[in-house]
Amino acid sequence: MDKFFEDWRRPILGSLAIICFFLAWEAILTWGIPLNKFIISKPSLIFAGLFQDMNSGLLWRDLLISGRPLVFGYVAAVLVGIPLGVVMGWRVRVGYSLDPLLTAFYASPLVAVAPLVIIYFGVGVAGKATLIFILCVFPFIFNSFAGVRSVDLLLINAVRSFGGREWDLYRIVIVPTILPFVVAGARFAIGRGLIAVLVGEFFAASEGVGYRIAFYSDMYVLDRMFGYILVIMVIAVAFTEGIRWAERTAFPWRVGM
Amino acid sequence: MSNRHASNETTAVTRKTFWETNEPLILGVGFIVLVIVLWQIVPSFFTMSKGMKLFFATPTMVFTAIGDLIASGKLWPALRFSSSAFAAGLALAIVAALPLGVLMGRSRLMNELFDPFVTAINATPRLVFLPLIIIWFGIGMTSVIVVVFIGALFPLLINTYEGVKNADRLLINVVRSYGASEWDINRLVVIPNSLPYIISGLRLAIGRAVLGVVVAEFFGGSAKGIGVIMVQASSSFQVDLVFAGLIIFMALSLVLTGIVRAIETRFNRWRPEKAKTF
Repeated sequence: MDKFFEDWRRPILGSLAIICFFLAWEAILTWGIPLNKFIISKPSLIFAGLFQDMNSGLLWRDLLISGRPLVFGYVAAVLVGIPLGVVMGWRVRVGYSLDPLLTAFYASPLVAVAPLVIIYFGVGVAGKATLIFILCVFPFIFNSFAGVRSVDLLLINAVRSFGGREWDLYRIVIVPTILPFVVAGARFAIGRGLIAVLVGEFFAASEGVGYRIAFYSDMYVLDRMFGYILVIMVIAVAFTEGIRWAERTAFPWRVGM
Repeated sequence: MSNRHASNETTAVTRKTFWETNEPLILGVGFIVLVIVLWQIVPSFFTMSKGMKLFFATPTMVFTAIGDLIASGKLWPALRFSSSAFAAGLALAIVAALPLGVLMGRSRLMNELFDPFVTAINATPRLVFLPLIIIWFGIGMTSVIVVVFIGALFPLLINTYEGVKNADRLLINVVRSYGASEWDINRLVVIPNSLPYIISGLRLAIGRAVLGVVVAEFFGGSAKGIGVIMVQASSSFQVDLVFAGLIIFMALSLVLTGIVRAIETRFNRWRPEKAKTF
């Protein structure tokens, strides 16, 4: 029993903390402070509202609407970011030329381009996907850039001395080296992508998760709004912890990058 | 590479070294200049339709817009509003994050209890809480400060915690065997050890804090500020003014992160490479 508790201590205590948090929230607003529905909601109402939105299909439709531009923008970021980062790392002069400009963009709050993107591309899928692309591409560029620069030159020379061609260098040395960097970049990028989805939909949209949160808050339907916030939290944790788990399993020697 | 140059070395020693040492700088600055020049001369190569012209702003137009903002006196109140919200939120985040981070790093139980919440909120884009924050704190400075606070809190908290957790057990045991209290251990070993981590966290937190100012001002967290100027400009299609706001935000976050990065390298100078990459 003690051994079992010692092994599972972290998940047990963590889940207990979360359960206690929700119970305390419910209890305080039921017996402690009288509930003012225009300021706060309580878990029983939130979950009831969430089930209603699930049964009516509203939640699933909103998730699909928001998911489509996320997929487009994210895939485009992978397709552009990784090759660009690899070229920047492999061709030294390209790296010298692009690094300062792109670093300036990466360090600045790129969400600020949202009004411009909406002026140029509209409020539909195209506008959202562009904004997502702009935010997601930088982690991919800089992580594959750093990955290529950490390639072991000894390995390159070894492949060359055994008669390897340029293609073999990429297949045998470069891709395996940058893969952990790229996966870590994918984890940063998904967080930025979710920010972009919300910004795009807060600004102007008629459907989607972000729109629904803004709509419920305008209508002061706080229990439904909390439901959507919880859904987004669960999705965000699932994405980032899922990628972190993949990193730990696939590249155990690189944990904590 | 260097072998190939070696034979020429006698003929052009000075020029070659100048180019080689300054190549990254020249290429980097040159590329930025090239992009700005190309952007400027695009309209003289393509004749744009009237509609397109409305949505296009050349660098000179953007800088004129910044000049106008300064000349008309609209910039300073907006800048003062945005930067005081930024400073207040960041200061509150530091005050809250450091003790909590030390507590989570020193106590296993606290860590296990708080970790799910920290992980969940850190993974979630803090933006989802914005409508709620506006309901709770109203439209104005308070909401912006709260958004900045929750944005900057977690990088600081997590980095403090990592730094405290990685404190050298041996040093802690040495100090303890000389009869130090928990406070002495924190003061002598834990806090100096976690300082580089905290400063890295500060750099991340500044980025998040500027982001918080931008989004809070965009979505009705305030009636003043540079973000508000940008939103108003975009709804009347004044693209040059939107770009002006964008450039001001970019400059602010570059300067601030640059300062912290300088402090970071100063603190890390004596440290092995391991801690730097964090």
